Order: sequence, then C-alpha cells, then structure tokens
Amino acid sequence: MSWECFVFFAIAALICWGIGAAVAWQGKHVVWVYGFTLAGLVVFFSFIVAMWISLERPPMQTMGETRLWYSFFLPLAGLITYIRWKYKWILSFSFILSLVFICINVFKPEIHNKTLMPALQSPWFAPHVIVYMFAYAMLGAAAVMAVYLLWLKKKAPKKQELALCDNLVYVGLAFMTLGLLFGAIWAKKAWGHYWGWDPKETWAAATWFGYLVYIHFRLDCPSAYRKSLIILLVSFILLQMCWYGINYLPSAQGVSVHTYNFN
Amino acid sequence: MWNKPWKYKEGVVIGAGLLAVGFLLQAAAGKIKWECVAFPVNVIVLFLFLVWLGGMHAFRKKVYLFGWLSHYAAAVSSLGWVVGMTVLMGLIKQIPSHYSLDGPEEWLGFSQMLSSWSFVLLYVWMTVVLGMAILRVGLPFRWRKVPFLLNHIGLLIVLVAATLGNADMQRLRMTASLDNAEWRALNEATRQIVELPLAIELKKFTIDEYPPKLMLIDNVTGKALPEEAPAHLLLEEGVKEGRLQDWHLIVMQSVPEAASVATKDTLRFTEFRSMGSTYAVYLKAVNHKTNEQREGWVSCGSFMFSNKVLNLNDEVSLAMPEREPQRFASEVVVYTASGLRQKGTIEVNKPFELDGWKIYQLGYDEAKGRWSDVCVFELVRDPWLPYVYVGISLMILGAVCLFTTARPGRRKEKLA
Repeated sequence: MSWECFVFFAIAALICWGIGAAVAWQGKHVVWVYGFTLAGLVVFFSFIVAMWISLERPPMQTMGETRLWYSFFLPLAGLITYIRWKYKWILSFSFILSLVFICINVFKPEIHNKTLMPALQSPWFAPHVIVYMFAYAMLGAAAVMAVYLLWLKKKAPKKQELALCDNLVYVGLAFMTLGLLFGAIWAKKAWGHYWGWDPKETWAAATWFGYLVYIHFRLDCPSAYRKSLIILLVSFILLQMCWYGINYLPSAQGVSVHTYNFN
Repeated sequence: MWNKPWKYKEGVVIGAGLLAVGFLLQAAAGKIKWECVAFPVNVIVLFLFLVWLGGMHAFRKKVYLFGWLSHYAAAVSSLGWVVGMTVLMGLIKQIPSHYSLDGPEEWLGFSQMLSSWSFVLLYVWMTVVLGMAILRVGLPFRWRKVPFLLNHIGLLIVLVAATLGNADMQRLRMTASLDNAEWRALNEATRQIVELPLAIELKKFTIDEYPPKLMLIDNVTGKALPEEAPAHLLLEEGVKEGRLQDWHLIVMQSVPEAASVATKDTLRFTEFRSMGSTYAVYLKAVNHKTNEQREGWVSCGSFMFSNKVLNLNDEVSLAMPEREPQRFASEVVVYTASGLRQKGTIEVNKPFELDGWKIYQLGYDEAKGRWSDVCVFELVRDPWLPYVYVGISLMILGAVCLFTTARPGRRKEKLA
C-alpha cells in the first residue's frame, strides 16, 4: 500500500463518517449512526494496517503518520462519547476535526520513510504513541467544547455540557497518563533512565500538570466555569507545545531525543 | 487576604514566597548539589519527610496551614506554580549541572532548573500537598477511595523515589575494544574513572543496515529535493527502477560490497568483500520532460572510499546518503568479581542485566561504521528503581480507574 492510495480511503471513510454524523443530528436511527461511523473507522483503519504492512514498521514515526492516527481516533472518540452520552453534535464535530487532519495529510504529506531507527524498535513504541494519540483526540474534543461554551454559546452552559468537558478530560488524562508511563518504561529500556527532562518530557510534564490543575479547580470551584474552561484551553496549548511546538522551539533544538520526525 | 478559608490569593503568595526563598538560598548557598543527597542522607531525608507529613497531619486542626495544605486550593495553587516553573524550564535551554554559570543565570538558576532551589521548593510544596491530601482522604481507609489513593500514592512514590534516588544512581560510560576485558568506566556526573566489580569483553560487534536510498540534491545548496519534503527511492531487494521528481531511474548494476577504482579519467566500482567496502549502483537516469539522459555510478562511500554522486544537469545531482542502521548488536562476555561468567548480546532497547547493573549499547566508532572494533556501553545502577516501578504500577492502575469512573456524578464522591 502506498501513500498515494490514502486519498481514496480517506474519502470513503469521510463519506461514512459524514453520513453517520448527519443521521445523528436527526436523533433517530441510532443503529445507522453506529453502522456508518464504524464502517468509516474500518475503512480508515484498513489503510493504517496496509501502511503498517507495506512499511514493515508501525506508521507512527513522522508527523504525517501521527496525524493519520489522530484522524482515526477523533471519530472513534466521538463514537464512544456518542454511545455513552448521545450528544447529537459530537460526531459532526469529530468529523470536521478529522477532515482537517486528513486535508493536511493529503495536501502537505511528509516523508514516509521506511526506515526506523533502532531506538524506536520496541514493543512499547506502538502502545506509547497510540495511547497518546487517543488522549490528544479526547483532549482536543474537550478544547473545542471549551471554545464553544466560552465564546460561541450565548447562554450559560448547562450542567451536562460542563460534565462532558470533565469526562473528556478525565478519559483523555487517563490515557495521557498511560502514554507517559509507557514512555517512561520504554525510556528505561532504551536510554537507561525513565525520565531525562528532555524538552519533550518537560513539556509533557507541564501538560500533564496543567490538566491536573483543571481537574482540581473544577472540583473546588464548580461554578467558576469560565476560569476552568480557560485553564482547559491553556493546558491544550501546552499540549500543542509538547506534540509539535518543541520542533520550532530554540531551547529544544539539537537536544531533544524525541525529534525523529524532522530528521 | 489571609481571611479563612484561604483560597487562591493565599496560594499564589505562598508560591511567590517559596520562589523568593529559593532565590535567596541560590544566592547564599549556590545551586543544589544533588550528590550530597546520596545514601544514607536520602534515607534520613525520606524518614524526616514522612515524620513531617505525619506531624502536620496530626496537628492539622490546630495549625490552619497544615489543614489547608490538604485541600483543593493548595493543590491548584501548587500545581499552578509547578506548571509555571516547568514551562519556564521548557522555554529556557538547559545546561548540564556540572557546568558553572555566572551573572543572573547563576542566581536565578533557571538554565539549570533541576538544581535550582526555587524549582525544587515549589515541587516539594506540591509533593507535601499530595502527601497531606493522601493522609486526609486515605484515613480511615474506604474501598471507594481506592482510585484516588492509587493515583495519588503512585505519584507520591514516583516523585519521592525518583528525586531521592537520583544521587544513588550510577551512570557510567565504558569503551570496550574487541577481545579485551574492560573493567574501568567513566562516571558521567563526576567525570572520574571508576573501577567496577565486573568486566566486559567485547567479542563481536555488528550493524545491520537498511538498504541504501537515492535522493536528488541541489547542486548549489547541497540540500535534498524537494526542499520541503525530500523524496527518496529505497533500493530494497528487487527494486530495479523508480522515480524521483522528473527523473526515471533504472538500476543497471548494484554492488553491495564495492571498492572504487580510479582509472585515468573515470571512477568505477568493483566487487570488494572486505573491511571498508561501500555500496555502489550503476544506473541510468532519464528526464521524462526534457529527455536528458545520464549514466553513471552512485555510492554512499565508507571510511575508506569517498562517496560518489552523479551529476544529472546543472541544477541537480543524484546522491546516496549514508545507510541508516537497522540494528546494533554487541556480543559480550561479562565477568563478575564473584567469578561469574556470562555471555550475552546487548542491543538498543535490549539492555543486558547482571548483578543489579543494566548494560546499554550506547555507541561505536562511527567513522568505521560496521567495522568498528570498539563499543561504548552505558552501565546503569539504580537501587531505587523498584520503588519507582511500584509507583508507576499504582499510577497505571489509577489511570485505568480514572477512565472507568469518568461519568457524571461519580467524581464528587471520590473525594467526599
């Protein structure tokens, strides 16, 4: 499978996700919503698997490849949220976000190198990245929800809407914690230490603590929702720094062991 | 301010106070010397820390501050300060702690954040808040508090064990040469040579490499093309042709182990199965737009032979970058002072373990590449590692609980 085929799989998956999202708005035919969204996920995932096989390594090394997982996990996170809480709009929202990442991959693909450096050849590689991408998807969803509640929605948010933000953060943070810890265990195997305060690790710690601020602040001051949503957005900005921002940060140049994708 | 109950203003001021105390300590005593916390000091510090936590917990109703430390306002304030300091650390380029600094860099200590008093004091504050919250919520024990306890105790153990254990961790660098037993290594922190209770004899070193790649490069800048996302053609087994931009490439001959031979006016490659051989291909390139055609050798070179590019026209050339390593492996025999002799293979991601030491593949003679006859190993001994792993395991279980208990109406009761 080559990267050129991506656009066909992506269009097929997007059509499925789009239909699923549209049906969800009507509030009926839940089975169709599940069916179409799942079908889209299967189509998209089959491309990932095919890439995995043809590259002979997990497609998780370059920025383009991590975007591939992100585009996959967004509708998956949307579907899980939909199954659990039945928000009509959640699938449209995950559809649009996924569309953005797919478009970046179609119009600005990055090198898809077949070689994988020895440090990345580890059984921890796949769980570390997959779990992180899922966490990013959930926390991305929480951030967009925060923007909606802060600036787009004219009325004060309902209790359930804030509860959704909380749940997305709880699930996202749980996965982020797993990703962080898997990374630590792997680092011990690969580099001799579980935590080296490498720039990526520093920003990962800042992000992780940032979401802890959100969680504790929400528990302390549930009515001060504007402040908590701002904390949520600040944490999401820290997450962007951790994910790709460090590639542009002068303080991280040449010292991070995590900047594989710019090699 | 300072009206009870204390909220965030008080939290911000306490953090600012710690920051200021940190600056004063930094000015008075210099940066933190972590090596002073080595065993047995760290065990004493741990004991005192636990007694201190227990004492504060016991007097939490008498001293308002102690009680406040276990509440959300303290948690949010200390976490906020920790985020701030960590972000600062991420923004400022960090310099290894064995370098000395001067001027504002020295008294602020932000370029050596891990040795800076203000950073450490703010982290200690957060750890104290964590400990106080565990004691308040965890006593008396209730099953429904298990997710809270797993997350919080796990983090406490990781933070405390990693910090206090840091000085006991030994990271040594050993350069072993082929067929010689080596028992001396360089301590990376103190820059001193250490004699070890074990010796390593390198028996064989191998590098498996990925197949070579072909790339187009700009004749003027030397950069790979297209500049934004360089493309390449991987010459895997069976690949005889391919395309790079407008050029169609046909491999006519490939010599995986080759030597370059200079004739009167050309350079050609011939088979050479010996040390220092390089990979070379003879190929034909056809530009399907301009119909230009070129033929010639391209090679990545080695420590014995220089690389060879093929000029396609005035603008671009075809080059073969150095082959990327797929796997490094060192076959070794390790001898211990107790008379043990053990054979093993050390690879990246697969350290060799013996007598509490983990031995990592770190480097080799890069100039000689796969013919390197020396290997650099990193030997790591971390007596506190098992405790850190206990903390990590608790946090993993805690994260699973966090995921499964995330639904409306359930979170409040966890801390109630």
